[in-house]
Amino acid sequence: MSDIAIHASGLGKLYQRGSRSSQHDSFRDLLKDAAARLIRVKDQGHAAKHAFWALQDASFDIARGENVGIIGLNGAGKSTLLKILSRITTPTTGSARIVGRMGALLEVGTGFHQELTGRENIFLYGSILGMSRGEVSRKFDAIVEFSEIANFIDTPVKRYSSGMYVRLAFAVAAHLDPDILLLDEVLAVGDFTFQRKCLAFARQLEQKGATILFVSHNMFSIKSMCERVIYLRRGQVVFDGATDEGLKLYENDNRLANAPWFHQEAGSPRVEITDVELIGDDGERKSLFDFGERMTVRVGYNASQSVEAPNFLISIVRSDDVLCCNFSSAADGIVLPKIEGQGQIEMQMPALKLVADMYTVLIVVRERSFSRIVCAQTGATFHMRHPVFEANAFGVFHESGEWRLTGAVPTERSEA
Amino acid sequence: MTADAGISMKQGTVSAAAEAPNADSPVPIAEIRPSRGLLDLELDAVWRYRGLLGVLIGRDIKVLYRQAALGAAWAIIQPVFAVAIFTIVFGNFARMPSDGIPYPVFAFAAVLPWTYFAESLRRAGTSLVTEAELVRKVYFPRLVIPLAAVTAPLVDLLLASVVFFALLFWYDIGLTWRIFGLIPLVLVTGLLSLAVALWLAPINVRFRDIKHTLPFLIQVWMYASPIIYPLSLIPLEWRWLYSLNPMVGVIEGFRWAVFAKGNVNLMAMGVSGAVILLLIVGGLIFFKRMERSFADLI
Repeated sequence: MSDIAIHASGLGKLYQRGSRSSQHDSFRDLLKDAAARLIRVKDQGHAAKHAFWALQDASFDIARGENVGIIGLNGAGKSTLLKILSRITTPTTGSARIVGRMGALLEVGTGFHQELTGRENIFLYGSILGMSRGEVSRKFDAIVEFSEIANFIDTPVKRYSSGMYVRLAFAVAAHLDPDILLLDEVLAVGDFTFQRKCLAFARQLEQKGATILFVSHNMFSIKSMCERVIYLRRGQVVFDGATDEGLKLYENDNRLANAPWFHQEAGSPRVEITDVELIGDDGERKSLFDFGERMTVRVGYNASQSVEAPNFLISIVRSDDVLCCNFSSAADGIVLPKIEGQGQIEMQMPALKLVADMYTVLIVVRERSFSRIVCAQTGATFHMRHPVFEANAFGVFHESGEWRLTGAVPTERSEA
Repeated sequence: MTADAGISMKQGTVSAAAEAPNADSPVPIAEIRPSRGLLDLELDAVWRYRGLLGVLIGRDIKVLYRQAALGAAWAIIQPVFAVAIFTIVFGNFARMPSDGIPYPVFAFAAVLPWTYFAESLRRAGTSLVTEAELVRKVYFPRLVIPLAAVTAPLVDLLLASVVFFALLFWYDIGLTWRIFGLIPLVLVTGLLSLAVALWLAPINVRFRDIKHTLPFLIQVWMYASPIIYPLSLIPLEWRWLYSLNPMVGVIEGFRWAVFAKGNVNLMAMGVSGAVILLLIVGGLIFFKRMERSFADLI
């Protein structure tokens, strides 16, 4: 028996872009479309223009027991790859061979039925994930215990809170016991404690020698779980190798990329962030900061047109997308003059009390203090280091408080 | 390329050939690759997922009766009202002939398989879209979905049968051994609605029109079946054409099994059987071909 868990060669998936938007429409649209096609005779470029490869020529071998992270921007083909490997959709080209029992968690709780009780849903979801009835029965008590909702097990899940719902679904999934596990961003749902639980579960599987393929935008969890990453860019594998190297490449590619929600307004001045430097107490550029250290952010910009009364905002976003804090020049009462062309702005933060985790700096530029946004780009990434203050127990930041205790204190009886 | 706008994906098929463990390697192996050809229906995969089929059927039955205030009573109310209306309108006012059988039982014997057929077709025809979430996020042979949809309404049929047999007792109609003929007939009815659904459900994935067309189709089909009128009303020279509707054979079979009158209409049954066979084999191939694109289109 070979030690290869997944062997993929030349996997590709071709989508027709046009059909994606008109897919659910009615027969009428098909007729309309056909009529339009008759008029535009031999529009050969049409089909080619609308076809695109969501994934192209992906070849790799994954050994048994290996943990591999799949990274890339939205639409890079990560989910398409997982969907092909989990056999939800079929490849247009290429083939793959999967050795071992596979579990795919593309979403936690798919197939739960609102009207059914927790107990019934355990059996339903278990068999959807590929467990036999006997297997679910055997693991039933363990699943209920893991979910921590034993009291509500005979209540229809429509009465569950969203937290209970996810906990129950995850409890079932965690008992799937696969040889190969495909995880698609599932760790991104739920609260922070839950995410940590998911990670713990993945680690436990890892110890059992399971192979894990892990899609995430969370570089922090990728870093802590995978020794190897496959980096996809526009459907193509551009890197396959050591995590550190892959993440560096990915971060370089995505540094200074526009924030996904930002769309340039027509006619508004264009400001481009050309560089973001994070500087420590010692004046050195770095990416690892100690708790309590003062960080300086130096932002280089290039304004193609003049921007009146610019307001620079520097946000710190935690790896789980929690916006931790936001520095704003306008909020700090700084009135900046009109800017045009190249320039640099610097801001020194107060002592950083953020808990240990990975953070990203987001730069936003607004025109006339808080009116329209002319620029929103993700900047550098940094880690906070502290042996105790971690996000799962200490929230977003940690500050010391002043403590006073009132009330009776039992007098100590000396026994000397 | 421009000509086949109807099908938007270029795909292959996924085959899970060797998931069954054998002595040498207890590890399941799945092969993912483009299509293996037209007749590769992978029915063995459906068999491996029979556990899921059972669970889905159980879910449908539970949900069906839990959501409605009257619960299981609906399974009885629906056919009983249909029979009552038919009896008043067609039996009393229109004086429809009923081959010498009291009109209420005459109609009920047809309404029974018809209600099952209509309900299972209605559900199975839209089943893939109803289960869109599963189709998008989990792998299993998609055939399991319409299969579960045509099986669950059997419980309704069973409940309605109780009323039917009570009515037979009331009219003092004795049963013969022929009554066991109902079992294969019900099976054929299920196969027929599955066969039709195998065509309609994939089309519904692409064009949601089916949802609106289905009630209309079912209604027309009802009048094209000998439910409110006897087969004897159809001129002899046209019966072969009429029998192309497989429900004709099924309903005539029901009446034969219950009332023990006349002989089995071999021609009607033969034609119906051939049509069902054609529909189901074609349907399986069609469904399998379309299955590849479900997750992309739904």
